[in-house]
Amino acid sequence: MYKLAFHNFIRSRSVWVALVLFFTAGGISIFIGRQFLLKQEAAIQSVTQSQKEHIERNVKYIKNEFGLLMYYLKFAYIHKPAPIAALAIGQQDVNTNIQSLTIRTLEAQRYDTDLYNPYNLMTGNFDLSFVIICLFPLLIIAFNFNVLSSEKEGGTWPLVKLQSAQPLRFIFQKLSIRFIVVSALLFSLLGLAKCIIGIPLDAAFAAFSLMAFLYILVWFGVSFLIISLHKSTSVNALLLLSAWVLLCLLTPGMINNYVTARYAVPEAYNTLIKQRDGYHTKYDRNKDSTVQTFFQYYPEYKKYVWDKPSFNYIWFYAMQHLGDEEAGADSKAMHLKLKQRSQVSAAVGLLFPTTHAQLQFTNIAHTGIQQHLAYLDSTARFHEGLRRNFYPKIFGDSAVESENWARHVPAYFNAPVNINWLELILPMLTVGVVLFGIGVLVFKKVERGSTFNTNN
Amino acid sequence: MNNVKLIARHFLKTVWKSKVVLPIYMVWLALVLYAVATGYATYTKQNELRKKYQAKARQSWEANPDKHPHRMAHFGSFAFRIKHPLSMFDNGMESYTGNAVFLEAHKQNTANYSEASFSTGLLRFGEISEAMLLQTILPLILFFLGFNAVAQQRENATLKILVSQGAAFKQIIWGNSLGLFAVGIIFLLPVLATTVTMITLKGNAGAASFIRFTIIGLSAIVFLWIISVVAIGVSAISRTSRSALLSLLGVWLMLAIVLPKTLQAIGNYLYPAPGKIQFQAAVEEDILKQGDSHNPDDVHFKKLKDSILRANKVDSIQQLSFNYSGFIMQEGERMSAQVYDAHLQRLLTIYDKQNRLSYNAAFINPFIGFKNITMAFSGTDFAAYRHFQQQAEAYRYDLAQTMNVLQMKYISNRKLSITDKPYSIDKSHWTSFPDFKYQYQPVNAVIKQQWVALVALAVWLVMSFLLINYIAVKAKVI
Repeated sequence: MYKLAFHNFIRSRSVWVALVLFFTAGGISIFIGRQFLLKQEAAIQSVTQSQKEHIERNVKYIKNEFGLLMYYLKFAYIHKPAPIAALAIGQQDVNTNIQSLTIRTLEAQRYDTDLYNPYNLMTGNFDLSFVIICLFPLLIIAFNFNVLSSEKEGGTWPLVKLQSAQPLRFIFQKLSIRFIVVSALLFSLLGLAKCIIGIPLDAAFAAFSLMAFLYILVWFGVSFLIISLHKSTSVNALLLLSAWVLLCLLTPGMINNYVTARYAVPEAYNTLIKQRDGYHTKYDRNKDSTVQTFFQYYPEYKKYVWDKPSFNYIWFYAMQHLGDEEAGADSKAMHLKLKQRSQVSAAVGLLFPTTHAQLQFTNIAHTGIQQHLAYLDSTARFHEGLRRNFYPKIFGDSAVESENWARHVPAYFNAPVNINWLELILPMLTVGVVLFGIGVLVFKKVERGSTFNTNN
Repeated sequence: MNNVKLIARHFLKTVWKSKVVLPIYMVWLALVLYAVATGYATYTKQNELRKKYQAKARQSWEANPDKHPHRMAHFGSFAFRIKHPLSMFDNGMESYTGNAVFLEAHKQNTANYSEASFSTGLLRFGEISEAMLLQTILPLILFFLGFNAVAQQRENATLKILVSQGAAFKQIIWGNSLGLFAVGIIFLLPVLATTVTMITLKGNAGAASFIRFTIIGLSAIVFLWIISVVAIGVSAISRTSRSALLSLLGVWLMLAIVLPKTLQAIGNYLYPAPGKIQFQAAVEEDILKQGDSHNPDDVHFKKLKDSILRANKVDSIQQLSFNYSGFIMQEGERMSAQVYDAHLQRLLTIYDKQNRLSYNAAFINPFIGFKNITMAFSGTDFAAYRHFQQQAEAYRYDLAQTMNVLQMKYISNRKLSITDKPYSIDKSHWTSFPDFKYQYQPVNAVIKQQWVALVALAVWLVMSFLLINYIAVKAKVI
């Protein structure tokens, strides 16, 4: 019986058309993800090559002034996207993955954005997470909206009720067939993505797959709840599409609007102005006080003679560093504000399957704002490392050749993989169970009501 | 004509009696109010902040004591992007464009701190604005309300009666379309009313704002008419109201959701644009080709020096009547700005090609055309952003070159000894250099940029009349 129903469903031409369409859309999204990775890879190679040439050229011209050389030299620090980032590009097209930094004021450099076409950013990436979050529900809706109503409208429903003791079981059977088909589509796309992009079979990939699986389960729950109301085909279509509009368009938009309006980030503008004023106004101040303030942060450099008659770089780099120190509080406040924004979004996002799935996907793929903040924080440590390496050589006026320049290849940021399984699964599972639970209650109630009515 | 009026009135009566329209309208009003409240709050807060920091930046610029002008060229300035009042109506791509840029000598910085760089992945679902509600949600509502207008009459055979009583099929389509269109206008009214109130309250853009608003309003009316005709047209050719509904939902998904994203993805794929790293490497390479002022043996700058000495009939820099290094920097700034601009133009051409697909798609997809119009006239599209960037770059160039001229004029060529006081000029020069002041694009320029979308909308309007005739001839009554 089940097998027969399965064959019956699969035999339908429109089902195949829909599946082929979605498989193609999924394939395209995987391809787009791969393009994204390739572009990042090309940028990394390009920066590796140009850093080498850049250092070689400058070292050749500026042979005997270490401090002047370091004014120009740039060192790349790269947040290399993991292969799984191709499935959920998230904010990674907005936030730059490569920082190319001099040892001068960091706050003047680390928020520099990449060059991009804002029209592309606005329409967004057609990646697999988009296909799963926004398009899969439409397939599920298309498969399910008339599961019951078509029987009723075709006049076969009384027959079904007559033949099977539990009409609910009949509906579940039909839904489960569709669920198997949609899951098969999902897993074949994930398999395809694994092969094309070369995603390792690790915890992140498992988490991504699990999340996607639970997400489609939730949409079957939504479908079931609407079906259980025993409405007509048209009304079902309307209700389900309204649910889709609400969950995929309106709710995320409303959360985002709220966060934008509620949490402005003036700290960013303050950082921008303070880093400039912090450094530049030192030209008009007493040199001694500038250098002494610098020595408070770095007492180990006190031993260098700073008031040499020639242009002295201790003073210059002290001024640069004080730009960072004076903007530091605002920069920290800005990061705090951004964390707050991300926490509010995540907390509200938890309540809705679409937003929760999106935030979890970007979290798993390391393409969310938390990862970018971690990268920015780590950039400060990278910058500090560079300065500590070069300060003694500048202040001691070392020979330029004494540095092993070949050593200065781009460095990489490795984000710690951090998957909170409970937070991942629990909200989805709860929503799913609640939807199905209410659905069963409603179904039984409406069924009872209609039986009662016919008896009358 | 009388029949058309009767049918339109009948349509309105049916919609009113269906009981769904009132709750839908309540939800619609709630959404509009939410969009207005958040749009207004964001606009007010952001412009207040940006003006405050623009003033703050200016204050510290003017607070500089007497100093060497080149120090001021490096001190630099900032440009904060001021939002257009109509951005309260349509946020467009504002969330993805930078809001503040540091302007200094020798270097074109990126505009940073876009809203997107502060946001989580939730931003990518899109934002709620009045324009988004008009572009995406209202067509869906009109499809909901219009799908069974004709199809249901066919199903329960009232269509046959109507026609036998003397109503032409054309009149039936006209009447229903007008009825649905009237419903659309009722939905449009709160949007127009709130928008015009907001721009009046925050009207720092003057009369131009109202011209922009008028164009948006007229486009919205045409757009809603097109949507109404599509809804009724599909209803008229469908066998059952169910199939009419499914077709219309398919049309909506395709035109409002799938196509805009897909077209842009195709454009992006066909015309790959370089990232910043590649872009900068290319700029640096070209600048080095022209001459490297850091390289003591550079041919270009050596030649330049010789020709300057010859032209001024002197044999050393010290004898020149102007500051030589100021002159060199002027030349360097000119050259590097030229190279940068050439590369930028090339990059923008690529972006234009990427976007061309979406722009031209207005002819096959009125949703895209209407969106391009509302963004452009709300001052929140790419051209508006480019306009800001151009002004910021012009200001930066002017600042750097003004400081170079001051240096040439007032700084001596004589090298200072260690005991000498460093050269400086009077601080009144700083205050006399004007502050950055952003000007919105004139409306004419926007019309020129958007003529494709405007023409496309007009073509759709004409097509809608042809469509009514065509369907009236083709569709069957039974």
